[in-house]
Amino acid sequence: MNILIGTVVLFALAAWVWQRLETGDRRQQAYQGVLRMIRTNLPRLMVALISAGLFAELLPQEIVKAYLGDTSGFKGVALGMALGIVTPGGAFVSFALAAGAMQAGATAPAMIAYLTSWGLFAFTKVITEELAFLGPHFLMKRILISLPIPLLAGSAALIIF
Amino acid sequence: MSDVPSPKPQPLGRQKTFDSSFLILLAIALCAALAVAYLKGPMRVIEITVNYLGFLAVLSPKILCGFFIAASVPILIPRETLVKWIGQDSGARGLWVATLAGGLVPGGPMMIFPLAASFKVAGASTATVISFVTAWSLLGVNRTVIWEMSFLHIDFVLVRVLLCLPFPVLAGWLAARVLR
Repeated sequence: MNILIGTVVLFALAAWVWQRLETGDRRQQAYQGVLRMIRTNLPRLMVALISAGLFAELLPQEIVKAYLGDTSGFKGVALGMALGIVTPGGAFVSFALAAGAMQAGATAPAMIAYLTSWGLFAFTKVITEELAFLGPHFLMKRILISLPIPLLAGSAALIIF
Repeated sequence: MSDVPSPKPQPLGRQKTFDSSFLILLAIALCAALAVAYLKGPMRVIEITVNYLGFLAVLSPKILCGFFIAASVPILIPRETLVKWIGQDSGARGLWVATLAGGLVPGGPMMIFPLAASFKVAGASTATVISFVTAWSLLGVNRTVIWEMSFLHIDFVLVRVLLCLPFPVLAGWLAARVLR
């Protein structure tokens, strides 16, 4: 169902973009871009998806339940934040892990903190790309300012759920 | 590992197929496969591989749409235009524009961070760039629709997105006030 909604939204967006491209020449250019993306990303997608599945399989159920489960509260949120930092980048390893953890009993607030922190601070992305392109000064400022976000989002989720 | 040079204008950045990050990914995958094989038997590894490749096939229309949109954005909105918008407008409105751009511009870190760097060069304040990077990190539409919604419940995703909505502008605002 989820996949369906997302697909419809994306198809509509793609159709709109296709229309906005207007000329055949510009559409051709976009198709070339798609081919390039397939070439660079498909092997990556395959390996990353499979490893996401393998990682989800390796999640230890009892530990997940004990530390991120219903009784974990704010501690679960804080732990989720810490785990987000150490999860490597790549668009979906974290999502697969969060889905696996929730199946194993992790709470939604802990996983919101996890995904938020992964998006903001995943160390592989921060160290390899952000540091290289934006420099240590910017990085420090951004991290200092963003530091409370996973805890705030997770705590707000604790109130909602 | 030679990459055929293309005369076409490049999207916001480019990446080779087999670079070091891919090798790291491959090594991680192999370790995970060995661990699963050891704990649950090699058959389980094959089962998971087949399952997730099937999942990839199910997702492929979404992924292709995402690629198409990502490939079209640089054609529709030339990089220079985007840089001009965000580079010149560093007031409070700039934070909103940067947040919107960060949420909408598709692409991974190899595209986003060079783009953010060019905003800085064009004169954008640190606060604006912080809003942009934060918005991309928390609200990137492409990633949310293609990946997050494929793995997680829509209610969960919506709550997460709603909770994160104020942070990019807030972070930029805070940056403008606290840091100079």
